[in-house]
Amino acid sequence: MSNFFYGIGQGIKGMFQNKMFSFAAIGTVTACLFIFGVFFSVILNFRAIVYKAESQVGITVFFEENLAQADIEHIGVLIKQMKGVDSVKYVSPEEAWENFKKDKFENDEDLIETFGDENPLKDSASYVVKISDMKQEPTISKDIEALEGVRKVNSIEAVAGSINNFNLLVAYVSITLIVLLILVSVFLISSTVAMGISVRKEEIAIMKLIGATDRFVRFPFIVEGVLIGIIGAAIPVGLLYIFYGSASDYIAKQFPSISKWFDMVDSVSVFSVVIPASALLGIGIGLLGSAHSVRRHLKV
Amino acid sequence: MTSEEEMIIQTPDYEDNSYEEEEKEKSEKSDKEIIRFQNLSYTYSSKTTALKGISLSINQGEFVFIVGESGSGKSTLIRTLLGELKPTEGDIIVEGANLKNIGRKEMPYYRRRLGVVFQEFKLLEDRNVYENVEIAQRVIGVKKDKRIENCNEMIKLVGLSDQSKKKVRELSGGEQQRVAIARAMVNKPSILLADEPTGNLDPNNSWEIMGLLQNLNEMGTTVVVVTHNDNLVNSMQKRVITLQTGEIIGDKLGGYIQ
Ligand SMILES: Nc1ncnc2c1ncn2[C@@H]1O[C@H](COP(=O)(O)OP(=O)(O)O)[C@@H](O)[C@H]1O
Ligand SMILES: [Mg+2]
Repeated sequence: MSNFFYGIGQGIKGMFQNKMFSFAAIGTVTACLFIFGVFFSVILNFRAIVYKAESQVGITVFFEENLAQADIEHIGVLIKQMKGVDSVKYVSPEEAWENFKKDKFENDEDLIETFGDENPLKDSASYVVKISDMKQEPTISKDIEALEGVRKVNSIEAVAGSINNFNLLVAYVSITLIVLLILVSVFLISSTVAMGISVRKEEIAIMKLIGATDRFVRFPFIVEGVLIGIIGAAIPVGLLYIFYGSASDYIAKQFPSISKWFDMVDSVSVFSVVIPASALLGIGIGLLGSAHSVRRHLKV
Repeated sequence: MTSEEEMIIQTPDYEDNSYEEEEKEKSEKSDKEIIRFQNLSYTYSSKTTALKGISLSINQGEFVFIVGESGSGKSTLIRTLLGELKPTEGDIIVEGANLKNIGRKEMPYYRRRLGVVFQEFKLLEDRNVYENVEIAQRVIGVKKDKRIENCNEMIKLVGLSDQSKKKVRELSGGEQQRVAIARAMVNKPSILLADEPTGNLDPNNSWEIMGLLQNLNEMGTTVVVVTHNDNLVNSMQKRVITLQTGEIIGDKLGGYIQ
């Protein structure tokens, strides 16, 4: 046990003996894991938005022209029986026109008057189908489309798809950056440890001659690398924690319309993943860097 | 954590009783061979052959001087014995085990049986006296209480108690030499190798150190001392092995051979 703490102490000493390199290495790990944390929170929030959007939008089902009301009702019954369907709501042409006027024309009287009393959407009766499990949405859409008398199904794929594409873009850019920064971090930690080894070459040789095991000699250098990794993980997690809280406040203040509709994912959900993942990545990067150097330069 | 546990498991226990029992055993001088060089040669480069066909046997509990002029191969002999240099030819057998068969992993444990005072000291310059002695005990995993006791005892023995907290690089050559001796002896090794341990000491101090080595020898440690000091050698009446350009030219009890 005492050798364990001795090794830790020597590792800490080594890190301070080599300030410039250690600082650069910690900075890179910090940058890397900060990007990771930001990427993760963005993805998590967008996913939450998509879920929220999907569950609120639902599928809209339109009918063939001049379909009898009885047939429409029959279709409604069939849809209701489908697995995964939560609710089916009938929207009459009149309601559709009212909604349209409200949404698109913002109740602009002049504009609406040009249509006179005629309902331009008289064939636009529809069902709004809400689905309990979004994963089943494509199948359900297809099944509804296959029903007799159904003209068109407006699925929500389009909306969800574009958000997912955005997520994917964020993911690709972030992953590329993270991988690059991991490589740089590993390289920098490896160089830092190599510096330490070269400074203490004589000391290492002496300890070997008086019977030190490889493990005894190597352990402080591994500690040094892992320590850099841990510090490099703690800083971005701390920063992110502060930023995440202020981002929630900022959005609430600046975009009340968004925040009315969508709350940012709570920080517990974010950090219960970000903290262990960052710690693991930091330690992993540190281990990889120092192990690489120890293996290369400590053939004692 | 686990690596530490393994570390402890691998280090031999350093308990007082086992150690005293060992000493009792060692103090019975015997004809049991402890070190044997068999036709040993060592070549640094194609130009310098430092050792040529050395064959030599040292018994447990012996006190042996190795003498010879500068460059005759004395330090090289010590370094091959320590496993620092691999013989170009021949074998080294210590306590029945051929050094050739001691792998990388076992080498540290082999080395712990030897205490070495290096000619150039090989101290940790930026650490203090205590830490330099302590490192030998740390390396073999001695517990803290025992470590403090052993180190302080040894530092007192070499007369450096007052300088215990002084950095090694602030010490004189003679003081550094004492630190090197304390470090070599603190683990109570079964074999003590000392390469010119009085090289930086005035005559008085030299005698003191020789007295220390002799005490250690009387307690059962096999002691091999490389030296230039004719006075010491001639007056101590021990086995003297003389090297010249890498070959043994004398091996007799009592004094120098010309
Ligand atoms: N590291 C080395 N590289 C090359 N030659 C060496 C080295 N060390 C010692 N030698 C040579 O080996 C011979 C024996 O040296 P050494 O064992 O140090 O002698 P001693 O200790 O008896 O003075 C000398 O000729 C010396 O020059
Ligand atoms: Mg020499």
